[in-house]
Order: sequence, then structure tokens, then C-alpha cells
Amino acid sequence: MFKTIKNQFFLLAIAALGLNSCTDDYNSINTDATKISTIGATEYPFQFAYALMTPTLSPDNFEVGEGTIASVYSQFFAQAAQSFPTDRYVIRQDWMPACWNPVYTAAAPQLKTIMAGTKAETSENALANIWWVWMFHRVTDYFGPIPYFNAASGNRYIAYTPQDSVYFDFFKKLDAASTVLKSHTSDKPFGTYDLIYNKNASPATAWMKFANTLRLRLALRISKVNPTLAKQQAEAAVAAGVLTDISDDAYMPKSTTTYNEYNGLAVTSGWDDIRMSAAMESVLKGYNDPRLPVYFQPAISTGTFEGVRNGLFTSEKILDINSRLFNSNMGTRWVNWVNNDWKTTYNAPQDIMHAAEAYFLRAEGALNGWSMGGTAEDFYKKGIQASMAQWGITDNAAITKYISSTATPIAPLDGMKSPAVNDYPVLFSGTESMQRKQIAQQKWLALYPDGAEGWAELRRSGLPKLYTVVHSENTDLPQGTFIRRMPFLDTEKQTNAAEVAKAVKMLSGPDNAATPLWWDKN
Amino acid sequence: MKKSTKAFRSPLPEGFQPKPLRIPRFSLTTFLLYLMLTSVCLIGTAQAQPAKKVTGKVLDHKGAPVPGASVIVKQSTSGVLADKDGTFNISVPANANTLVISYIGMKTQEIVIGNKTDMGNITLAEESVGLQEVVVTALGIERSAKTLTYATQKITGEQVNEVRDANFTNTLSGKVAGLTITPSANGPGGATRIVLRGNRSIQGSNNALIVVDGVAIDNSSPAGQVRYDSGGQSGSDGASNINPDDIESINVLKGAAGAALYGSRAANGVIIITTKKGKTGKINVNFNSGVTFDKALTTPSFQNSYAQGSGGTYSTLTGGSWGPKIAGQSVTNWAGNTVSLQAYPDNVKDFFRTAVSNNNSVGITAGSEKVQSYFSYSNNFINGIVPHNSLTRNTFNSRVTFNLTDRLTADAKVTYMIQGIKNKPGVGGDGMVVANVYRMPRSVDPQTLKGYKNVSVTGVETPTFWTSPDPVYMNPYWTINNTHHDENRSRVTGLLVLRYKLTDWLNIQGRVSSDSYNDFITQKYANNTVNYARQPGGYYSEGNDFISERNLDVLLTGNNQITSDFKINYNIGGSVLNRNLRHRVNAADGLGFNNKYDLSYATTLKVEANTTKRELQSVYGTAQFSFKDYLFLDLTARNDWSSTLPSPYSYFYPSVGISAIVSEMMKLPSWVSLGKIRGSLTKVGNDADPYLLGQNYTYIRGGFGGYIASSSTKAIANLKPELTQSVEVGTEWRFFNSRLGVDFTYYKTNSKNQLLNVSAPASSGYSTLNVNAGNIQNKGFELVLSGKPVTGKNFTWNLGLNYAVNTNKVISLYEGVSQLYLGSSTSVRTATPLIKEGGSYGDLYGYKWKTLNGKYVVNTNGVPVKTDEIQKLGKTIRNSQQVSVTAFLTKTGHYPCSLTVNSAV
Repeated sequence: MFKTIKNQFFLLAIAALGLNSCTDDYNSINTDATKISTIGATEYPFQFAYALMTPTLSPDNFEVGEGTIASVYSQFFAQAAQSFPTDRYVIRQDWMPACWNPVYTAAAPQLKTIMAGTKAETSENALANIWWVWMFHRVTDYFGPIPYFNAASGNRYIAYTPQDSVYFDFFKKLDAASTVLKSHTSDKPFGTYDLIYNKNASPATAWMKFANTLRLRLALRISKVNPTLAKQQAEAAVAAGVLTDISDDAYMPKSTTTYNEYNGLAVTSGWDDIRMSAAMESVLKGYNDPRLPVYFQPAISTGTFEGVRNGLFTSEKILDINSRLFNSNMGTRWVNWVNNDWKTTYNAPQDIMHAAEAYFLRAEGALNGWSMGGTAEDFYKKGIQASMAQWGITDNAAITKYISSTATPIAPLDGMKSPAVNDYPVLFSGTESMQRKQIAQQKWLALYPDGAEGWAELRRSGLPKLYTVVHSENTDLPQGTFIRRMPFLDTEKQTNAAEVAKAVKMLSGPDNAATPLWWDKN
Repeated sequence: MKKSTKAFRSPLPEGFQPKPLRIPRFSLTTFLLYLMLTSVCLIGTAQAQPAKKVTGKVLDHKGAPVPGASVIVKQSTSGVLADKDGTFNISVPANANTLVISYIGMKTQEIVIGNKTDMGNITLAEESVGLQEVVVTALGIERSAKTLTYATQKITGEQVNEVRDANFTNTLSGKVAGLTITPSANGPGGATRIVLRGNRSIQGSNNALIVVDGVAIDNSSPAGQVRYDSGGQSGSDGASNINPDDIESINVLKGAAGAALYGSRAANGVIIITTKKGKTGKINVNFNSGVTFDKALTTPSFQNSYAQGSGGTYSTLTGGSWGPKIAGQSVTNWAGNTVSLQAYPDNVKDFFRTAVSNNNSVGITAGSEKVQSYFSYSNNFINGIVPHNSLTRNTFNSRVTFNLTDRLTADAKVTYMIQGIKNKPGVGGDGMVVANVYRMPRSVDPQTLKGYKNVSVTGVETPTFWTSPDPVYMNPYWTINNTHHDENRSRVTGLLVLRYKLTDWLNIQGRVSSDSYNDFITQKYANNTVNYARQPGGYYSEGNDFISERNLDVLLTGNNQITSDFKINYNIGGSVLNRNLRHRVNAADGLGFNNKYDLSYATTLKVEANTTKRELQSVYGTAQFSFKDYLFLDLTARNDWSSTLPSPYSYFYPSVGISAIVSEMMKLPSWVSLGKIRGSLTKVGNDADPYLLGQNYTYIRGGFGGYIASSSTKAIANLKPELTQSVEVGTEWRFFNSRLGVDFTYYKTNSKNQLLNVSAPASSGYSTLNVNAGNIQNKGFELVLSGKPVTGKNFTWNLGLNYAVNTNKVISLYEGVSQLYLGSSTSVRTATPLIKEGGSYGDLYGYKWKTLNGKYVVNTNGVPVKTDEIQKLGKTIRNSQQVSVTAFLTKTGHYPCSLTVNSAV
């Protein structure tokens, strides 16, 4: 009996000790079969597609990261959502990460992986660099100094870079990428995962034009703060080739497959967040602009095109004349009124960059005396034509009539009884100051609905003259002033406090919405 | 009152001759080895000595036999147990003269043997209630309450079922000092939080471990808990699946004392449930039937002076109630009818209903000497207070105990449960039913909302609403009629235990248990439901979660009387625990035919899949040394190897406890029935979730061939186990034959090295990083007073008071991280629980009105402005201090009845 017990003891002891060596399969148990642990050339196209999709913003990010910020500050739209206050310049820190996080945590890590894993002279590397600039220029133009050189480095804290240095790097990257692509015109980098240009005859060439147009845009942006560099960059960009035809226009395709692939702007308008601004109404109606019924649709209750002023109180928004049913939502390309509700076209492509803008940029450059390959007037007309063509307006007679029209904006007959927003005619003026206004006004119209670029250019040039917000609830921005930037994020102050404190010193004023950015000299 | 959890243990091995043992000095790491060696030594010294035979029969005060009564020869180590008839037959050495007869719950008696060989009937008197109380401790080991070195509190099955609840854990509220029960707002079947002695884990579970018949059961909510103010449906938990009628008793281990035997999950305390088993004797059938009524306890208080509108103007274009003063003026209501303006003060309250629920169960016990069985069936039909919400549950339970041989017993249990929840209401903000109800403008007649839809000539339904269609909120009657969240669960728990008595003092037990369940969750959103049916036709999803937990363990249990004063009880065990989760969701985002809720109608099919696996291997041991039955030393140790940690996967945690029965160590006045002091120190390690070690990438489906994304959480390659240290001291006194009792406990726990998912600067490329950090401290005391002011033949009055105070403090978080959002939101839309260094778990933060010198700050338009930063608003943890009083009056005799009052603050 003793022996049996002893044997049983040993068995137990062995069983217990045996557990020690049973951990051989622990590594495989603790490997998530649904995930990918190593990344290489096979995965880069998928990562690039992700980097393209995410900073064009999912519906949730678009609504609060752009739809309540740049979309209304550009005055393409006025805020219709009754409870939203950003149109009255209230800063909603809880919403703002939506414009930041997709760039830093979703897109940038993928681009960094591709940049590190591909040689600088490859077209894949060039595309990663171009897209890097595209998404970061939107971030820096919101905030000014931003975490840039160490973005997505995984470091515990990330230093901010002053905006001028950020811009200098943009030019460097675009120049290099354009040069690489010029010698790889037959490349199809990332194949079908280049969601923007894969259907184009020569994706590499299209990306090269895109890079140069972006470079031209950024050159004009710094034309007041650094005219010398601006001229040099603009001329180099034009010489290398910018967008000239709508067939090279850049769109981000959107899909109904997953929610995050929906067109964020379309969803935002389907959610009844926005309506045509009174400024848009004043200009488009005054010009009898063929784009009016494309950009917007008649108000549900009136059957007419109606806009509303930016910056109304809720108590004003509920008045019929300012209400949603009495004002124009976006055009039928994005939403349609069916069964008393908005049906959203989730897969409406998102506008990224167009040849029309390139022409207006060149027109302004030509006025600056830069070598843009043509005259301001010629580019102005081509810009209008390209914009019309882009929106499917093919009636050449109407376009010609439009270009020669002396009509000016009209009073929108809105709830605030606003006067006409400005008095610029379409017909190209003989005086440079009016020409600048006209170019700015037509570019503003052509940029629709890209709020981020619209707002940036309003700040940079101060043109066209638009309405002031009816009410400001931001003590830093008294009635009559214009919003200049977004304050640094609370989430960054909580997690990256010391670096944000240093970044505040890089600003020309306090960290609020009234402090102009480096390139903003108005 | 007879306890059914009778101990069946032999204090002495037969024919054992004591021999002094040399006890080696040991560290806790060599503890297990030491235990084994000790045991082997003990076996080696076992010898027999012949003598005369003595017989007798042990009876209780009513004359019934006492099977299992212990009969030992005084001044020796000889002893036997009485058989089922209470009779015993013992060998007595020639020099012995006295027998000591004892049984738990009865007074020990000594009898002089003299020349007799038949001692006849020996009647044991009843022990004062409580002193010999047996409690079930870790791994189903029964111990006399007085020997414990830590605080426990026992609840009987009857107490659980005094007031019935679909989730029995809700009935524990107020019955245990230091226990906080937070029921779910998700209607019947929702997960209940069961927290003992405060919250110690910031991002992990704070729920006490639930153990049924010695086996931990899964009490997670696979579908997760709603953590965002946008809301949703929280998952159902595991504890709610236990049929209250099957519960024999519950013992609550408040501290981490169970951790050595149950592992890390016991760090939050353990709710040990013993279920009923079969009894020898004739067939006994027990029916239970009950009806309960539930009503909404309270609704927010609303103003009823101002109508729908804004800025003092009546308007149905806004959902707010900032309109004109209500004075019967004539207006056009939202439905287009001219009405005179009036307030509907009860339009929110009237939405809810009085919910009637039925609980029926039948339990059958029967048994022979060889086989005892218990079968039960219960049916619960429970209605929620939100219309159309209900739960149906059928539970089948079968437990059979076999006495295969004198040495071998088997215990087999299978429980099968099927549960269906219909229309589980969502909690939180965006379009959830209660949020929709609460937004009803004060001047809206609820009758106008009940026809919640318009139907077109082609049969297309569109919702009606009191204002122009909102992108998120809707008519609540549309919500309850045209959106559905249904859950079905089937669960099988099986347990097989084999016990073999190696010797009278040594048992080995092997056990296999399995707990697995399938959740099938469907969500239906009718065509035109705002926010949720985004594509034409409607939305339908099927979620399937399969959770399984399989445990294999071996446990060796022994006890030895080393000298007449010195005893040792010990356990050595090993176990392998495997846990798997398989999660699948298929969703039809858009249906080809309106409201045909089936995946085959999907216009766009979306898939979500997730599988996790983990394994935990453990070796553990406990030893209790007792001296003269009044001084006890407990030592425990455990080593775990977890698959979720980096190599070598291992962590070790020990505990030490001591208790002394003062009332037996020294002569105290006779009115002192018990005096005891106790203390313990415990360390508990804990592993983390799987798959945290390596940086990885995710494939994401999409319309253009898919994407690959890097994880936005920075992995933690050097993940360390969490560590909870606790110290506990207590004292327990009973007076006047135990009619008055007081039990006081002070404790302090520190949880360190917690796995925290902290916010990273998004600019780093990661939104969060996993770190080991933090120190959360809970300290407090518990006071349990019990009294029996009246005890008569037909009438007793019991009174209990539980008082507990817990102070929770966040001592440190992580370098560069001064706060953590519990709601996992880095932005505050309304209010959020926020963990701040120096604050406590559950502090609620949000914006307030900005004031200056006690006056509101207004903007240029005269509108009050909110504070620049979020500020502390209050606490979400209700009971940092809790008091509860229980009184029950029992009348027996011809018209038995009882009255229970339980009030908790």
C-alpha cells in the first residue's frame, strides 16, 4: 500500500513538474491568426490604399473634422444642424481629433513603412511622398506648427515643427517625387491599389502633374510671406507640368462596401448638417452660374435655391426662412430627397484636386509676374471652362456667355436681409486689383466643395470678400473678424504637453483661433 | 437548523503513531516541494497497533443518527467516522480510557470507556449557532468558519430566493458588507457588476469570480459592455444563467484569499456557490412558483412650463422645449393638427410599463446509499419595463453522486440552459430607446406618437417624429416596434469529479469541467430607421459568439495529527485551463426586399471575425497548521504559466494568514461565546489578454480590394503580470450564546503593474500604448453585526447590520499620463468617468457653467458659457460607504410565515 501511494505521489509530482515543459506551443497559442505580423512588398499596395482612404475621412471623421470646421469656414456651406455651434466660432475640442488622428495614426504609419521599405528612386516611394505632403498640408493649414519630422515614429513624445520648415520639406519632397516619376512614366505603382489614378492611361504621369499642382498651390500659399521662394517653386512646378485637363483630375473613389469608405461630405449633408451659404447663393444666383443646380438643389419647401447665413443661433435656425426645409442642401450628386428623407449617395467620388484650380493658380502667378506659360486672363478663362467641364456643363454657348457676363452677386434675400456679398463681375476686369478678386472668387467657386482648401485660401489672400458670421461666440474672435486657425488639440496637450508648450512659442500669437499662421499676412 | 454542507472529514488517521518531525526552514518557492516531502515522510511513519474494539451509535438532539460524526480516542491518534446509521466501531489501545465524539454544529462530548465495549446511544447536543459553522472555501474545501484567517460571509439559498430576480446576483445586494451590486440598465438578463471591496483594476474586470461547486465559471460578457456615450446593447453575463433555485448556499470570500486555489481571477474576491445535490432517502419533490412586478423606480424631473420651440417661440422644427410658456394657446402640433398648447408631465413615465414576471421551478432529490441524485427544471419568464422586452429561460440541472466503493466517489453534474432575450433595450445616447423617450418635448402628446409610422401606397413605412427628421433620434415607438435586438444563448456546464480515499487522511481528486455557451445575437433595423438602417431595405445582422472554458485539475488533500496539539491540513494541486472565444458577425447592410431579415436578402454583406485562445497551467498548494484548535497558520502558494505572457510565461504568488481563537486560548467570561483575531497577507499575480506582445497588422475588407493597416496600439513585448498585494486584519466576537455577534475587518489592497492602455500622442502614429503601470489602492473596513433578539419555539427574529467603508485612491498611473478615460473616449461630449492621479476610480468629469466670483460668465450674446476644462462633477461609484440592515421574522408552527426587510443605503 505504501508503495502504491508513493508511486501515485511520484506520478502527481511528475504531472505537476511536467507542466513546466508544456509551454512549447504557447507562442503559437498566443499568435492571432486573424492578423498579419510581417510586412513587405506584397502588403505595400494594401497599405497605400489605406493611406489614401483614411485622410479623406470616414463619415464620422468628416462630419466633425471637416464638416463642422473648414466646410463652414470656407462659407461653401452654413451650419444647419441646430445644436452645432462651430459656425459661431465655438471651438469643439472633442470634435477636432477627427481631422488629426486619421492622418497621424491611420495614414502616416503606412506611408512611413512604404517609404522605409522602398528605394527613393521608385515610383512607389514617390507616391508615398506626394500623398504625405497632400495630407500634412491640410493639417498644418489648420494648426500651423505640427508634429512633422517625427510623426508616426512611435516615440513617446513628438516635437512640433514650425510651419515654414514643414513647407520647405513639402517642396523638397514634391520636387524629388516629380523628378522620379518623370523618368517612370510607364509605371503603374501599386496597381489597382492606387485608388486615385489606376484607371488613368499613365498613372505615373498623372501623379507627377498632381505633385506639381500641389507644389504650385503651396507656392501661392507662401507668396506673401516668402515671395522669392514662392516664385521659384511655382515656376519649377509649372515647368515640370501641372494639371491641364479634367481627365487628370484627382478623385478619391468612395464605396458602399464599408461605412468608412462612404463619402463623408455626402453623409454629412444626408445628416442635414449643412445648407448652401448665403455667400454661395449671392454669387451663384447673381452670376446665373450653370453650376448652381449641380452644387445645390432646390429647397424642399420652396422649390427654389436658397442659402442661409453662417453663424446663426438655434432660435434663428428654427425660423422657416433659415430652416433646413427652406434652404438648399447639396446637389443630387450627393443626396436625394426620397420619402421625406435624405437618401445619400455613399459612393459619390470625393473631389481631391482639379485642373481648374491649377489654371487659377497660374492666373494669380501670372499677375505676380511669374513665368506661368501664359497670361492671367487666358488662365482665368481656362479655369472657368475646366471647372464647368468638371461638373458636366457642356453647353459652350452658355459658358462663353458666362465668361463675358458683367453680372455681379445679388442680395440673397435671406433671413438676415443680407446685401450682395461683393460686386465682382465675371468678365475679366482691366484692373489688377479687381482681377485678383475675380480670380479668387472663381477659384473659390471652383474649389467647391473642398472646404479645407477653400478656407486656407480665404485666409491667405483675404479674397473674395465674404460675409462675416452673424454671431461669434468666441471671445478671441470679436464680431466682424475671421477665424484664422484651430487651437492645438487638447488630446495633444494631455499626452504631449511639453512639446505642445514649445509649439505655442512657434506661433505669432497666443494659441487661439485668432492667431494667423506663418503664411497668413492679411 | 441543520446545515446541508456537512463536513465529511476524519481528523485523525487510524493507527497513526506520532513522531516528531523536523520541519525544514523553507522559502515559499520551495513550499510545494516541502509539502510533498512532508507527506511522504508522514506515510513512511504510519504504523498500526492492536487493541480492543468498542462500538456505539451517535444521535443528534432529536434522536436522528449522525453519519460522519468523528469518534476519536483521547490522548491518541486513533479515530473513525460514524457510518450512515450513526454507528461506529473503533479499535482502542489498551491504555486509552476516553472517547471524544464530535460533529460540526454539535457540542463535542467526551465519554469514559471503562470496561464497556458497547457505548450505546450517544446524544450530541446542538452547538450554539455559528461557532461550528462550516463554510465552503476554495476548490470546494469545507472548513470550519472559526479557523479562517480571512473574512467571509455566508448566504443561504433561502436568502437568495426571498425576493426573486432573473439574475440572482442582484439579490445579494445589501446582504454582504463590502459587496456592491450594480444591475444592468439593459433589462432582464443584462450583466450585473459584482464588486467586492472597491474597484482595483483600471481597465480590467473588477467583477468577483463566480465559482459553482468548486469550478470557476465564465462570467464575462462576450458581446462587451457599452463604453461610449453613443450607446448600444451591453452583453449578457454568465452569472445570470445560474438558476437561483439550485443554490444551496453562497459563501463570499471578500479578499484575495481564494487566489492560490482559483488563480488570478480570484483577486477580486470570490462568490462561491454550492448547488444542491441528491440526498439519501425517499423521493422529495419541491415546487416553487413566484410572480414579481417591476416598475420604473424614477424618471428625470422635467420642467412642464415651456413648450416645444426655441428662444421662446413655438416651433416643431426643433426638438427642444425652449418655446413659449404653456398657456393653452392654439398651435399646430407636429402632426399638423391645431391643438391648444398643454404640457404632458407624464409623457416619459407613461412610456414604461409595469412588468410582470413568472418564475416556476421543480426540484427532485432521491437517493440510495450508492447513488444520490438531484434533478431540477426551472422556467423564468421575465418582462422588462420597456415594452416588448422580455426574457425566457429554461434550465435543466442534473447532479448525481455515486459512492462507487468505500474509497471511491464520483460526482457528476450537467446543467443545460437555454435563454432567449427579446428586444433588449439599448443604453446610452444615439437613438437608443430611453434617449429617444427622454427627448420628448414637454408639450408632445404621447398618444400622437403611438402611430409611429406612415405607410405609402406601396407599403413603404417611414417613421413619424415630433420634429423634422433627425439624423440620430427617432420616435421611441418606432424604436420599440421597428428595431430589434434579440439574443439566444444555450449553455452547457458539465462537471465530473472523482475522489479516491488513499488513506483515512489522504484523498486524491481528479476533476474535469467544461463550460461552454453559444450566443446568437440578431439585430434588425427596419427600412428608414435613422442612423441604423443606412442602406435601402433595412439592416440585419447575426452575431455568433462561442465561449468555452475547460479545466482539468488534480488535487491531493490530506490532514495529519502530528502531535495531540498540532495538526496540519494541506492541498497540492495542478491544473490546466483552456479558454477559447470565437466571435463572428455577419451583417446585411441593406436588404434587397424591405424588412426581410435574412442574410440571403443582403445587398451588401459584411463580416467580422475574431478568435482568441489562451491557456493557463498552474501548480499550487496550501497548508494549514493548527495548534490546539485555537491557533491557525495558513500558507498558500501558486505558480502560473500563462500563454499570454512573454517567455518564460511564469509568475508566482504566495499568501500567509494567521488566526487565533482568543476565547479558547484563555478563560473568558461565560457570556463570551467566541473571540477571534485574524490577519493575512496576500499577493496575487494576473496575466493579461492574449495577443498583446507583438506589433501586427490588420486586413480590412473594402470596396477596392481591401486594405492593410498597422495597429494603432503600440504593443508591449515585455508584458509583465499584474500584481495585487493585500493585507487584512479582523476580529470576530460572539456573545450570549451567539445571540449577538460582531465581525470587524480592516483591509488594504494595492494593485500594481496593471496592464494599461494609455493614450499616446496621436502624432506618434499610435493612439494608445500598452504599458505595465499604475497603483490603485483600496482600503476600508467592514462591520457585520448580527443579533437574534427573540428566539422562541414558534417565533424568531433575526437582525443583521452590514456596514462598510471603502476608500479608493489612484496613487499613480504612468509617466506622462495623469489621467485615463474609463469610457475610452479622449473627448468629452457629455460627462465621462475619468481616472486621475490622486482621485479615485469612478470620479465623473464634465463641463460646468463657467463662473467668476460666484456669477455666471456669459458671452457677448448673454449666453452662459461652459468651463474651459472638464471638471469633477461627482462620483459614479455609489457606495464608497454602504449600510444595509436586514431583519427577518419567522413564525413556524401551524401558520408558518416570514417577513424580511432589507434596506441598503
